[in-house]
Parts: sequence; structure tokens; C-alpha cells
Amino acid sequence: MWRWLSPTDRQAAAGFWRDRLAWLLALSTIVCIAAAFVVSNGRQFLMPGPLTSAHGAIKNCVACHTAGGSSKLTWIHGLVASNALADSKACLTCHKMPTTAFFPHGASAGALIESTKRLSKIATRTPAPLSARLQTAAFPPRDVVARGLFCSTCHREHRGGGASLKKLSNEQCRSCHVLQFNSFDRDHPQFESYPFKRRTRIIYDHKAHFDKHFPEVAKKNPAKNIPATCSTCHNSSANKRIMGVASFEQTCSGCHLNQIMGKERASGPKGIAFLTLPGLDLQTLKKKNVAIGEWPDASEAELTPFMKVIISRNENGRRLIEAVGGLNLQDLSNASDNQITAVKDLAWEIKRLFYGLITGKSSDILGNLNVNGTKLSANLVADLTASIPHDVVLSAQQQWLPNLAREITIGPITAEQRPGTNAQEQSGSTEARLEKPSADEVHQEPPALAQQTEDGKATNKVKRDPPSCLMRVLGQCLLESGSDEKVQAAEPKVNDNERAAAASEKKSSAVNLRPPMQAGLKDARKVAERAENKPADQSDDLLSPTAEELREINARNKQRGELTGAPPGLHGKSQTTTSAPHTSDASITSDVDPETWAEYGGWYRQDYAIFYRPTDHKDRFIYSWLLLTGPEAPKGDKSPPAQVFDTLAGKDAQGSCTKCHSVDDGSGKGRLVNFSPLSLENKNGRFTKFIHEPHFSTVGTRGCLTCHSLEKDRPYLKSYEQGNPQNFVSGFGAVKKEVCQSCHKTHAARQDCSTCHKYHVNDVITPISNTKIPMR
Amino acid sequence: MWHTTDGAIARRDLGSPRHLVSWIARVLLIAAFFFALLWLVSIYSGALRNPRYLDGWVLAVGMSLQLGFHIAIKTNRLSPKSVARWRKFHIFIGWLLITAFITHSDFSLPDTGFELALWAGFVLVTFSGVFGTYLTWSLQAKGRIDEHVNFDCLHTRISEMARDVRKIVATPDAIASVGLPIPPYDVWIADLYTNHLEKFFDRPRNVRAHLVGSQRPLKRITNEIDNLSYYVDAQCKEKLAAIRNLAVEKDRLDFARVHYALSKGWLFVHVPITYALIVLSVLHVLVVYSFSSGA
Repeated sequence: MWRWLSPTDRQAAAGFWRDRLAWLLALSTIVCIAAAFVVSNGRQFLMPGPLTSAHGAIKNCVACHTAGGSSKLTWIHGLVASNALADSKACLTCHKMPTTAFFPHGASAGALIESTKRLSKIATRTPAPLSARLQTAAFPPRDVVARGLFCSTCHREHRGGGASLKKLSNEQCRSCHVLQFNSFDRDHPQFESYPFKRRTRIIYDHKAHFDKHFPEVAKKNPAKNIPATCSTCHNSSANKRIMGVASFEQTCSGCHLNQIMGKERASGPKGIAFLTLPGLDLQTLKKKNVAIGEWPDASEAELTPFMKVIISRNENGRRLIEAVGGLNLQDLSNASDNQITAVKDLAWEIKRLFYGLITGKSSDILGNLNVNGTKLSANLVADLTASIPHDVVLSAQQQWLPNLAREITIGPITAEQRPGTNAQEQSGSTEARLEKPSADEVHQEPPALAQQTEDGKATNKVKRDPPSCLMRVLGQCLLESGSDEKVQAAEPKVNDNERAAAASEKKSSAVNLRPPMQAGLKDARKVAERAENKPADQSDDLLSPTAEELREINARNKQRGELTGAPPGLHGKSQTTTSAPHTSDASITSDVDPETWAEYGGWYRQDYAIFYRPTDHKDRFIYSWLLLTGPEAPKGDKSPPAQVFDTLAGKDAQGSCTKCHSVDDGSGKGRLVNFSPLSLENKNGRFTKFIHEPHFSTVGTRGCLTCHSLEKDRPYLKSYEQGNPQNFVSGFGAVKKEVCQSCHKTHAARQDCSTCHKYHVNDVITPISNTKIPMR
Repeated sequence: MWHTTDGAIARRDLGSPRHLVSWIARVLLIAAFFFALLWLVSIYSGALRNPRYLDGWVLAVGMSLQLGFHIAIKTNRLSPKSVARWRKFHIFIGWLLITAFITHSDFSLPDTGFELALWAGFVLVTFSGVFGTYLTWSLQAKGRIDEHVNFDCLHTRISEMARDVRKIVATPDAIASVGLPIPPYDVWIADLYTNHLEKFFDRPRNVRAHLVGSQRPLKRITNEIDNLSYYVDAQCKEKLAAIRNLAVEKDRLDFARVHYALSKGWLFVHVPITYALIVLSVLHVLVVYSFSSGA
């Protein structure tokens, strides 16, 4: 190939020496490179340029070029083993992203498909510019995307410390898109519904408030604070993007708190029935010889959804609830034998429930609530029960099922076995022993009952507590059955004079009651009278026993007298007690019904139900139950959790939560009440970004309305008549592109893609390092 | 083309229209290539690809073509006519490669040692190539070198010229026998030779002036000769005219010598550094693809 020149060829001599010099220089270059490899520290001399400042601490090439190895020559292995995916995963070591990191935009496949479909429709109306078409024809981006969008596709390193890794051109952005245009102010499509992607979580009709409610309130009560500006309720200072809403207490409580507390509730109970002793068709059950033990026949309460959920905490309970699901418990005349059996089981299950709640902790029962298959924490149980006081359940039991303890341990008692005396109880199993009054309580002077009237009938209707303690209010025993005799029996030291004095004191104490309480006593008598005639109308039964209860009390007293050998006077006195209730040692009655007494929220008992009244906005009880049952409560479902949800989220539900907090259908996955305000996390996955603050100075006198026009005659509230949050009509008009374009245009404010759009829609975070605490 | 008249200093000509058109077309073509490459790089980058691969491979292909020309010259595979044609093509490709190199380096200076070596290699090759092109052009444009003159006989010819000048200067004028005083023309010519011409004819001179194509040294000498010839008689005028022609010829030889030396010398930069550049370029490609992360 090479013609060796003759040394004597003078014409070729220069060429000869030139070639020799060339080979020598090439060899020298190789030697110098080898020397550089040997002498240099690492492989930095091969770098095409310095790293950016943010990566300046990276010294080892293999930190990012994973196939390169760590020695000076192993980098050559990258020729065959270079793996872009592995290298990009090295980036994720510090820059945490979700599993969709290498999808376009880091968005899920579903979001991309949906977005592409939407933009494809717009693209049919907007032809791509020539430059874009040429680019696509010459270098189809599909090839790049098909390989995978790796970090290095867009982020180019080794361009110096001051280079920006985030800088992208508009052409790079649009290369993948079905919709392509040159600039914002020219061909960017019109905004469709920006910034509204879904209906607001809080149902707030701005127009109605501005036009109707605020003026009405201002007229009615000029002293009341009515928002004067948008910024009274909205502020973006917290996270710059979202115009957060001020708290309920700052904005809405002035008008809406009473609605939540139920003070403005016109009809229906203000509290939520949580635990009840449901009414049963005792007649039918008795006819069919179903042994359910004692059960008040005056109860007309319904089995609450809460109890259904609680009872359904195990498989048996679920079967039971399903079995009685379609039954009218108060009319079992047409029920089958299986259904009757189920009702019997239900009755016992309810009894066991009450027994469990009294003898154990509420977390023992509710911790196993199997709503979504998980065990509930103690905190959640506390919220779900609103820390219901033990005594509320206990007093209910003593009122409704006085022989519960015995029945649980021994079995159902018949009417004949009903006495349940002290002696019998004491001789019974200790397991069945419920809370017994202490010696002090026995000797307590119960307050006087209502004054005995001439007819005495009313006093016959005064409700008494079970034998050991006839009247217990809030844990305090106010009246005992045969209290005088008991005092005599327990305190033989008490002499007759003292006893008589005590008795007279009791008698007179009723007279000494304050007038409202005396009136209450009278009302109690009237109520008792009515109850005798119309058991269904019975109310305010805290102090007034029904006729049946009175009979039971009398029977117990009689039995006790027979057992203890008490003087006949005892019986007479007992009967007198039952027929003519104690006026001197009767419980305190009050004008205030329990519901009103609990006007600021909390637990109260009324009829055969224990109610909970919401305490305030953000009531934990309602919140917890809605949160727990929502996912298991698809619309139209009739399961117990769904019934609880419907009870609390209904239109006229106590607490009025869903008056303002919208309920979203979870498309087969239950429902969700939107308690939480809009947050930055809600904006995850969005392709757009926006910061309000730089725009505050540009909106002029119209302020927020410059971009957010308040529209008239929009059926805003209709959006909430169904559960799909994406199906909505906003009270505000969408932001118009022309508004933005007034500033973001050529030779004015910037209009590159990254001004308003972000690539990594789910954000990139650098997690804190896991530093082990240096312990000895 | 440069034209020589007897003793007259050649003047630069703008060239024929055809040459001008050809030159303009080449410039436009190079500019078009440059902007086309820029546009391609732009849309390549916009298509989520690294444009350094595009202009890098353009550069690599171009350098391969250049290297191919060198190999063809070395192996004498081309006829002289083809060599001339390929040389023109080689120069043209070189201009294009400058544009490719500018885009490939992203309009920036090197940051690291290896990059600096690559950059320096290419720049030296480019500058030497541009210089060589200039030399070729100037030789053609000035046309001051006779075809029969070659580098080897230059020294002999210059020596002969020096001898001729000395002979002319030493030859006295024929004077009248009548006892008139002798005019000092020979003395003046002898003085001129001693002061200005002896050194000039002694050996090759005015290398720097000839490097830049300047004729000022020659003009100084010819002005001196012309000024003196106003004051001498006809016979001396003839002598001075002969000396003038010899001076012009000698200057042309000096010019030829400088350009011949440069014509040989620039290749001592261009070719060896090209070899080194090839070594560095191969290493560069290996490094790029080893660390490419699939880009």
C-alpha cells in the first residue's frame, strides 16, 4: 500500500519525513493517553465536561454510569453493557419518583391514554405547524418513546456547573404530543374547563351566598360578620398554588354551627340513635314459645344501623342480620320459623352486646368490627363511640333489661322468675354480678320523689330502678326498692326516730323541690298516666316506670319480702311503693328533656334508645363512622355499613355533614365524604402548574373576577345530586385563554411550555437520608 | 491572475468573473450547509435525541473522507488531474467540517483535558489546512512564480543573479577622450549597489514581506533605482534598467522560495496532527458510546 521512498528521491524526501513525523506523533498521542490513564486519579479526564453544580459532589462515574465499573479501564465494558434503564434508576436513588417514573410525564398509563384521546380530538381541529411535521417526519419521536423515556433523554449532564438540567425547549415538549403548535399566543388551543377538573369538594354556592344569604343575614343581624372580599375566605399564602379556604370557625360557623348542632332542626330527633333496644313482636314470640327472656314490650325503637354493623362483626352476626334484614321486628305474625329463630338469636345477641359493653371495654367489642377487614385501633374505637360513658349503657341496661346479668349466666328468665332479688343475685354466679351499689349508696338519702297526689295513680306510674336500686341517675342511686326497710335491715343502729325523721324528711323533701322540678314531677305523673293508656306515647321515662315495670317491681318486692321474712309492712309498703310511688325518695325529674339537656352535644338516653348529639363541626363520631363505612357503602347498597352511611350522610341527617361536604361515588368502591380541603396532594398528577401570587398585582380592580368570572344561572347545586365528581357545573366560568394571553405573548411575559406545564406531574422529591442515631 | 511586465511590479487583479462566480457559489454552499446542519441539529434535538450524535457522525464521516484523500495520495491511486480535482473536494469538505465542528462543540470552548486535546487537534488541522488553501490560492492568484522555477534551483539562480548585478555595477562607462571631468554616475551606481543591492542579492530576503504578499521591500529598491536613473546618462540608465530587472527577478525568486517552503512546511503540521487527531477521535467515540446510557 505505501510506496517506500527511495532515500535518493529528493522530491519524496519531504513526504517521507512528514509521514515519519505523523506516525511518531500518533504514537506519542497513544503513549500520552496511556500515561494519562496511569497518572490520573480516576477517570475524570475522560469527562466531556464538568457536572452541574447540583451533582458536583459526585466523584465516581459509576454512580450514574452503572455499567462502567470503578477501575480505570472497565468503562470500556459499557460499550456492550450500557443500560439506560439501569442508569436512570441510579437517578432515582436521590430523586424519588413513583413507579411510573419512566412513563411520559411520570403519569399512569390510564391518565396518558385519557389525555391523548382528549387532545386528539382537539388536534383534528388544529393542524400541526410545518416545522413540527418536518421534525416528526425526519426524526419520529415514537422511536425514542418506544425505547423508554429515560432521564438522560431530556436531562443532559456534563455541560458545566452553571448549566440547567431542567431546561427544555418547546420543540422537545411538543415532539411527543398529538397536538402540536408553535407558541402559546398563536396556536395553543382554548382552555376547556381549566382549572376545574371536578366539582368542588365543599358544596358552596357562591352566587346564592352573594345574592341571597349574605344580604339576608346582614339585614337580619347587621352585627354579624359577612365576608366583604374574596380574601376573607381565600388565601394562597400556604402553598402558593391553591387558594385555600379559611377554616370553618373563621368563615362559616357564625351561620352554620347551629345547624350542625341541631339547634335549628325543626323535626326529628336531634341526636343519632346509636344503641337501642328494638321493639319486638312479643306477642307472636310468646305464642311461638320463643324464649328471649325479658324484653320490654313498650319499645318501638328500630334496630339501628350501628347495631347492625356491630352485630355483624363476625360471621354469625352477619348471617343473623341478613336473616332479619327484611323483617318488621314489631310484626312477626307472618314470619317463618327460621325467621323467628333468627329474631330470637338477634334478641340474645343484643343482650350479649349490652352485657359485653358493660362488663368489658368498648374496644373489646368494637375493636373487632369487620367493616373493611381490619382491626380497629383503640383511638378509632374511641372516636366511633365518642367515648360513650359506661354509665350511659349501664343505666340503660338497668332500665331496660334489669335481669340481664342473670340471663346471660343462667339463661332466659320467665315472667315468673322475674324477681331477681338481692339474695338471688348474691347467690348467683359472680360472673353475672353487675355493678352493685356500695354500702354508702345504700344509705344515701335518695331525693324525694314527686309528692303523693290524692289519686296516687300518677305516682303508681313512677318508674323505679331494679330491686337493689330503684332509681339511679348518672351512677348515683337515688331510690332504692324498699329503701326504708333496707336502711333498717342494713343499719340496725339507726333508731326508729331517725328513721321516721328520715322518712318524713323524704316526704317533705318533695315539697321542698324547686317549682320547676315539682312541675317536672307533675309532668312525670301525667306522662306516666299517658303511658299507662298509650304506651307508645311514653317519653321522658327516666323517672317514670311503666305499669308493667311497676308490676314487676311489686312482684320483686313481694318475693323479697317472702324471702327475707320482712314484716308484712314491707310488702304493704312495697306495694304501696309500686302502686303509690315514693314521693320522698323518688328520683329528680326535670323540665328539660334529655335531648335538650344535651344541646351542646354528647350522649343521652331517651325511650329505648341511646342517642348521640353532634358536639361541633368536625365531630369525631360522625366523621369516623362515615370514614369507616364509606368505602363499604356503594350507592343503593343495603348492607349495614351502607345503612350507617346513609343515616349519617342523608339529606336531613344529624350534623348536616353532607349539606356542605360532598359525597363522591367510588365507582363500585363505596362512597367518600370529602372532609379534607383541597391540598397540594390533590394536584398531584396534574399537567399544569400555577402560582397565584405573581398575578395579584396584574388583576386590577376586578381582582379575582378577572380570571374567575362568576356566572349567572348555573345549575351548580345540581352537580351534587349525583355522585360522580367529574360530572359537574361550576359556579365560575373557566379561565379564558385570552385573559392569560393578555400578558403571556411574544415580547411580553414568558410563554414557553414550562411556564404553565410541568413534566413530572407527580413531583420529584429528595427524601431525607436515614441517619442512624449514634447510640453506644 | 498576476501579470508581469518588464521590470514592472505585478499588480493584483480581481480575477475573472467565472472565478468569482465559482468562489461565491462555494461560499454560499458552505453557508447553506452550515445553516442546514444547524436546522437539522435543532430538530434532532427537538425530537428528544442528543444532537451531538448527529453532528458528531457528520464530522466523523467527513473526517473519514479527508483521510481517504490522504491515503489515495499516498498510494498514488489518483491521476494528477484527479488529484487536483480531489484536492479541491478535500478543501471544500474541510470548510464544511468546520461548520460541523462548531455545532458539535456546541459553540463553546473545551472544559476538560481530553476535550482540549481533541479541540486543539482539530483546530490545528483546520488552521493548517486553511493556511495551505490560502497558499494555493495566493500562488494561483499572484502567478508570480514561473513554471520552470522549482525549489531546488532557486539558490543557484539567485547566486547567478548576484553575480550578474556585480558585473553590471563593476563595468565602467565608456568616457570621452577629451579631458572633460568624469561624471560620478558609476560611483552613484556603485553606492546604490553597496547600500541597497549587495545585501538584497546576497541571499534570499524579505521572507516576512513575502509571507504576507507585500512588495514594499522591492518597491523601495526599485524606487531607489528609478530615482537615480533621473540623474544619470543614457548609458547608466541602461545599466540601471538591467539592474532593476534583476532585482525584480530576484524578488520573484525570493517569493517563490518562501512559498515553496511554506507549501512544504504546512503539511508538516497538517498531516501529523491529523494522525494524532484520528487516535483521539477513535478514543472519543469509544468513550462516548461507553458512557452513552443508551442516548
